[in-house]
Amino acid sequence: MVPPPVVTGISPKEGPPGTRITIRGEFLGIKAQDLIGLKICGCDCTLLAEWKSPNKVIARSGSCKGRGDIIVTTLSGGQGTSTVQFRGYHETIGPMKESAVWVEEAPVQSFAWGRRALSPTNYQQEDPLGLSVEGNVKKFPEDELFELYGDASGELTSEKFHPGMFLLQHHHATSLDDLKAGLAYLRRKVNSQKEGQLSFLKANVGSVMEQLDTIILLKDQFENDLKNYGTNPMEQLETAIKESMIEANKLFDDILARRDRADATRNALSVMHRYKFLFCMPINVERNIKNGNYDLVINDYARVKNLFKNTEVEVFKKVLREIEYRIETLREVLRKKLEEVPFSLEDQKKIIRNLINLEAEGDPAWDGIVSYANHLEKSIKTCTTEYLESESREDDLKISLAIKSNVSTPMSIKQFKLTKNEENNTPVKVQCIEALCDIVMEQLPDLWRLGQSYFTGQLHVTVDAKKQRPFKNLVLSSIQNAVNAMKASCDSSLEASWFLYSLKRIRQIYASLIHLDLPSDALDIFGKFIFELRLQCLVGLFKQTVDKILLLKCKETWEIEYLDGDGGITKMPLYFEEMVMEVSKLARETAIICGPREAPLLENLNHQTLYYNEIKATFAAFARCLQQLAFNCNEDIIDDEFTMVPQLTSSSTVYKNKDIKPHGLTWEQRLLISLSNIRYTLKVLLPRIEENLKFQGYPDLSTTVGYNSDWTQLKTLDTAVLNAYLERRCDPLVGIIEPNVYIGNLDWNSNLQIVHVKPYVQEILANIIAVHAEVRHVSPCLLERVLSHIVESVTEELARLILCISYRFSSSGIIQARTDILLMKKALENYCSPRAENFLDEALKAIPQPVTKEDAQKIDMILTKVTTLMQLQLSCLMNNIDNVNTTLKKIGYNQLTAL
Amino acid sequence: MSKKPGAAQALHKVIMVGSGGVGKSALTLQFMYDEFVQDYEPTKADSYRKKVVLDGEEVQIDILDTAGQEDYAAIRDNYFRSGEGFLCVFSITEDDSFQATQEFREQILRVKNDENIPFLLVGNKSDLQEKRKVSLAEAQGRSQQWGVPYVETSAKTRENVDKVFFDLMREIRSRKIEDKAASNGRGKDRAKRKKKKCIIL
Ligand SMILES: Nc1nc2c(ncn2[C@@H]2O[C@H](COP(=O)(O)OP(=O)(O)OP(=O)(O)O)[C@@H](O)[C@H]2O)c(=O)[nH]1
Ligand SMILES: [Mg+2]
Repeated sequence: MVPPPVVTGISPKEGPPGTRITIRGEFLGIKAQDLIGLKICGCDCTLLAEWKSPNKVIARSGSCKGRGDIIVTTLSGGQGTSTVQFRGYHETIGPMKESAVWVEEAPVQSFAWGRRALSPTNYQQEDPLGLSVEGNVKKFPEDELFELYGDASGELTSEKFHPGMFLLQHHHATSLDDLKAGLAYLRRKVNSQKEGQLSFLKANVGSVMEQLDTIILLKDQFENDLKNYGTNPMEQLETAIKESMIEANKLFDDILARRDRADATRNALSVMHRYKFLFCMPINVERNIKNGNYDLVINDYARVKNLFKNTEVEVFKKVLREIEYRIETLREVLRKKLEEVPFSLEDQKKIIRNLINLEAEGDPAWDGIVSYANHLEKSIKTCTTEYLESESREDDLKISLAIKSNVSTPMSIKQFKLTKNEENNTPVKVQCIEALCDIVMEQLPDLWRLGQSYFTGQLHVTVDAKKQRPFKNLVLSSIQNAVNAMKASCDSSLEASWFLYSLKRIRQIYASLIHLDLPSDALDIFGKFIFELRLQCLVGLFKQTVDKILLLKCKETWEIEYLDGDGGITKMPLYFEEMVMEVSKLARETAIICGPREAPLLENLNHQTLYYNEIKATFAAFARCLQQLAFNCNEDIIDDEFTMVPQLTSSSTVYKNKDIKPHGLTWEQRLLISLSNIRYTLKVLLPRIEENLKFQGYPDLSTTVGYNSDWTQLKTLDTAVLNAYLERRCDPLVGIIEPNVYIGNLDWNSNLQIVHVKPYVQEILANIIAVHAEVRHVSPCLLERVLSHIVESVTEELARLILCISYRFSSSGIIQARTDILLMKKALENYCSPRAENFLDEALKAIPQPVTKEDAQKIDMILTKVTTLMQLQLSCLMNNIDNVNTTLKKIGYNQLTAL
Repeated sequence: MSKKPGAAQALHKVIMVGSGGVGKSALTLQFMYDEFVQDYEPTKADSYRKKVVLDGEEVQIDILDTAGQEDYAAIRDNYFRSGEGFLCVFSITEDDSFQATQEFREQILRVKNDENIPFLLVGNKSDLQEKRKVSLAEAQGRSQQWGVPYVETSAKTRENVDKVFFDLMREIRSRKIEDKAASNGRGKDRAKRKKKKCIIL
């Protein structure tokens, strides 16, 4: 068995790939076939290994790099070892280095798809002086070099190579000794290249041989070709080359085309990817518009604009056009939105901002304001027409719910109103006002704020200060419109309570508008309207009261309540007072009271007059009410009463009259009660009401024009009622005097024993007492007024009768007559007006004086006697009520009735 | 073949220097493989290593055969640095090569910075006495001046071939022992010695 191979020597011990290496050692194979493996630096070189002897093998290094063992493997000895090592390196070749192989000196081009250059040996510089350049840190200044050598170059390969420049550039800091050594080295080198051609050939004999072989081969080939193709094969060659080129191209055409396509696609893809944002934009815009993400759209648009505004690329332009088109539609949509749909202020602002950001033409902010104002106006218009329609329809069909609101008026409000209408029977006009209020409340502030934002520059547009005026006009006209519409609905056909309701609503708006800092002329439109409304309210309230007062008569129960000092009245005056107070209070709290920014209502004289008239009207109404109570209720029976008058011969008949009302009162009683009511109203209520109104802050009534004439019409009524009563009571009373005087053939000429006053006197007194009682029953305050009239009439009649006596009085006749008259005078003393007294005195004058002294005494005597006898009757006519009572106690009620 | 643990084996690094064509490679190959190469193939740098028995001790000798050609002068510095002993060869038939030994000596001393580096001046091609150009006295004079031994060899006849290598290895070995003792004992000894020599010279 042969030992394994050992490599102990190597020549050379280092070199570039392809270096011819002599390997020496032991047991390197007993023959050439025994050598089966050679590895240098891990690189298999078996193929080029040449076995020379068991001690020597010649090989060529592979493309290994770095230090490594030389491992020889033989069949006989197996894998060997190595005591020496080979170092492979990649040689650098330069102008100072001879090379037997062809080296590309031009800088190696790197090909498009980054393949390495085919040649493994790169052309690199080496110092021609064989000196290390490492130490030469210090550089010679570049500008000085330029100064010295101009455009010469220190590069060895350059055509303008200048050795001086080279030395300064590379060996600026090298010592002279080293430079000398370098020069010697260079010289040796040049010499060796000149003379050592043999050694060079020896060193590269392999390459030279190869080249020689190739040249011989070429020569053979050429000679052969000359035989085959003639002396000038160029044409054939050319066609062949062309053909082969075509073939080659054919081979690669497809691939190249595919590659081109792939490249194009890749390019397109990368462009697409790079400008994904742009290409996706139209879709994104579309989607964002659909989702209402306008901000995103704006952002994207701005970005695109910024990036591609000035693009020249056709595709981009196309996309841009598409985007532009979409944006334009968006602008349209936004503009329409701005015009049509009622939005909240914020939405509105947003749309405007969006439009501005989208660089919409014109002044979208101003357009927004105008369209907002238009919308407000339209809302008002549709609202009014709708409600008016519904009103008319309601009038016709009484179906208000049938109205379909398909217009822009807020549905909810309307629906709400309609249902409310069903429940509360709110008049359509009031609904209309409410709806208008809602519209104003909803839209006007927004309009105003929009305008404010516009002028304060919050909308980010250039503010057109000239628009201030038109804007104000817009607001004013909007308000005017709203007010006009409301006014149209607030006609007098409305009930006062609805007026109040509307007033309240409108005041609410007013208050909120005041908070808005609207210009004062805008507010004034509302203020004026409110003022009018307040007046209307005032009037309406009083009108309502008047109506109620007129209806008071139905409430009359004729139950008398006695008041100290004022006699008996019914509830009427109190009702009246209550109503007046109520309405004045209500009016004060609603119409009169001044809200914010409201003027006092009753400062103006005209308005005062209006108020006076209303008060007057209430009184007049009350007067009318009382009048109706006093007269009209009995109109149908008046005739009957009158027919009964002749029968009224006895005072008792008055009470037994069949004409007794359900209340148990006769007309006369009612007249009296009315009289008392009127009196109470005039005397007590009027001052009290006056006072109260004044206290409540109403203007003083006493300054009213015509205050002193009978503005309440109560005095006139009073007279009328009194007259009616007197007519009822006096006429029969007076009428029966004459027949009574002559009952029983009274003859003032006869001489009869006179013991008493004549029956007619008693009759008269009894009748008066009856009236007295009747009046007193109602109110003692009326006694004097009523009775004095009656007494006047009675005394006038008496005087007439006495004066009519044409014949002579007998002495007893004188006595009788005088006694009668004197008794009358005494009895009626309390109710005698001067005129009545005059009548009585006239009567007495007409009666002759008593004939004798006895006669006179007799008169006195009889008078005394009769006074005693008739004490009860006489005391009835006394003012002192206690007298009557004591007398009544003395005599008893039976006697009275007997009278 | 005897196999001893390699780690314990001493390794002596010998470097062949001298002008081109003086027979460095011929000497090396004769020593290594007992063959004489008639053809001249300029060397770049060859490496040889084998086991030898030096005075009964098995050691390894590493021979670096360098290029005599001036082409490779630049790379000599690096090689010299690793050498422990030098065989400075000239051909007795070529005076230029003898003159060049001065230059080699200086370069070695410069690189190694050591006056006592193991060094033999070798005059080769002693078989070609008829072509002698460098006299023995001349060569001995120089070797004495340097303080190194002078030996004449023939790569062709193998005269003194083993001697120069073994003599150098011995010198190297003794230097190593000296160095070891110096570094074990007084560290500054070598520097001192060097200085002394300088003074003597
Ligand atoms: N006659 C004879 N010829 C020798 C002797 N030594 C070498 N030669 C020849 O001299 C020539 C050069 O020998 P090499 O050993 O290659 O020289 P070298 O010193 O290695 O040269 P480089 O490698 O260039 O430094 C060869 O042709 C050898 O045959 C010798 O001792 N006697
Ligand atoms: Mg050699």
